Amino acid sequence: MTTPVPGYDCTVDELMVVTFSRAMSNDTLAFNGAVSFIPVCGYLLARRTHAPELVWAASSIAIDADPATIPESTLSDGLWDGASMLSNSPFDFWTYAQGARYNTFAFRGAQMDAFGNVNNTVIGPYNAPKVRLPGGGGMADLGAMIPRIFLWSSTHNARTFVERLDFRSGMGWGDGGDHRERLGMPGGPQLCITNLCVFDFEPTTKRMRLASLHPGVSVEDVRASTGFEIVVPAGEIPLTAAPTAEELRILRTEVDPTNARHREF
Amino acid sequence: MDKVTTIEEAAAHVPDGATVAIGGLSMNSAPMAMVRELVRQAKRDLTVVGIVAGMPVDWLIAGGCVKTVVSGLVSFEGLGLAPNFRAMVQAGTVGIEEYSEHLLICRLQAQAYNLPFMPTKAGLGTDVLALHPDTLRQEVDPTTGEHYVACTRLPVDVALVHAHAADMRGNVRVEPKLLWMDSEIVNAAALTIATVERVVPSREFTDAPERTTYPRFMIDAVVEAPYGAFPTSLFPAYGHRSAFFDDYSAAARDAKAFQAFFAERVVGPPTWRDFLDVNGGAGALLDIARRTA
Repeated sequence: MTTPVPGYDCTVDELMVVTFSRAMSNDTLAFNGAVSFIPVCGYLLARRTHAPELVWAASSIAIDADPATIPESTLSDGLWDGASMLSNSPFDFWTYAQGARYNTFAFRGAQMDAFGNVNNTVIGPYNAPKVRLPGGGGMADLGAMIPRIFLWSSTHNARTFVERLDFRSGMGWGDGGDHRERLGMPGGPQLCITNLCVFDFEPTTKRMRLASLHPGVSVEDVRASTGFEIVVPAGEIPLTAAPTAEELRILRTEVDPTNARHREF
Repeated sequence: MDKVTTIEEAAAHVPDGATVAIGGLSMNSAPMAMVRELVRQAKRDLTVVGIVAGMPVDWLIAGGCVKTVVSGLVSFEGLGLAPNFRAMVQAGTVGIEEYSEHLLICRLQAQAYNLPFMPTKAGLGTDVLALHPDTLRQEVDPTTGEHYVACTRLPVDVALVHAHAADMRGNVRVEPKLLWMDSEIVNAAALTIATVERVVPSREFTDAPERTTYPRFMIDAVVEAPYGAFPTSLFPAYGHRSAFFDDYSAAARDAKAFQAFFAERVVGPPTWRDFLDVNGGAGALLDIARRTA
């Protein structure tokens, strides 16, 4: 179950969705992959609040979908009701993705590093893994193609946020610095929204930098829960902004009335 | 020429050791009836290509049919990990060739278009490229200086897809058209077997040719298998069957229990109709047919 945020009239999952939603804008052209409840809720909330022109292709297929509820799989047709177009994979989706029409994608990994690279392939050595994970799916592709990458995690701890990935399934800022630019990749990770805090990325090194803390969480808590050195800017770290009553009402009653997002917690 | 055949006959086209590509995406549109028949016929040493797959790959592994999985992702999504895939690949009993979705699509396209490679920006900067020095090459275009990955051909012996309708000549309809990567595996394969919900008169195709997905020369065998994607979905006709995924995952927590489950619920029933009956029958089908067009 999800935990209440001290002092805010919401739970952590709701704070994460609202924070994600506010990072979206009217020029967002987004799509989603598997097990992506927080981003899906975020796109739907943004479209109902400050970003009515936002484009979202449900499951990367159903453009402008407006489902009454969110099903147990974010790649399933239960998410597609109300779509204005069902696009097909090779000739619609991959054209819009590699062709730089779609500009926003969110992914996460079983492991993530300071540069926002992700691993969803193996824990341990590739050839003798301790745990075989499902695989990177489209991460290796979309990490290279999409300019605005968003990361999220509902399990902010030192096992997820590691100094060194066991396998780089998806490219964030790579080795940092100008690595993406050298490979001709657009943009890169913008934010990483976790159950403890929000990171952005330090502009030169491209390392995760503490942008805001959720209420009740200290800088030391984040340090203790992160397996790499985080960038902490000078001065006081702001609190992650509180959701408005209207955002919470829309999220709870219109976007996700059956709490599908709790599947991530 | 009548391409309609039985599922047993069609499966006999798949030799041991073949490279078999499985259609569908994750919990959608997988050719489960045909996959079950491969398990029943105890195929061995297959190289299984499943771009973004789950249950069909797990069945083939549980059936001892698989030498190597070529894939970008194998899971049951929010319903859990694919248990046999995870266990057997972890143990090294089944090999894995880890790609990504678009790298595999590009390899299939190189094969389909009869070109030495297909370029993509997919995979740049990741650890995937180093796994495949023979099939993926990171190159720089001499004119523009752009980085790309050259994805070499991926030859496929047999493609298995499930669709809505076919006629006896092998014309096939997916409605709506080509939602997934099935077209890529059909185009790359030397031979394609299509299971379909219904075999219909050719007149239905000639009356609406704009709705044909695969022409008859691309399809080698047609098998009628209603609900042939169960327990995955076939949009818009029926959704996936969550209860099956749950029961399957629960059984897989214990090797003995899984063996019994797999025998009773998957391999044992003599026909596909029997399989559907064992797995909930009419009630289950009514339950998933929430979106009947």
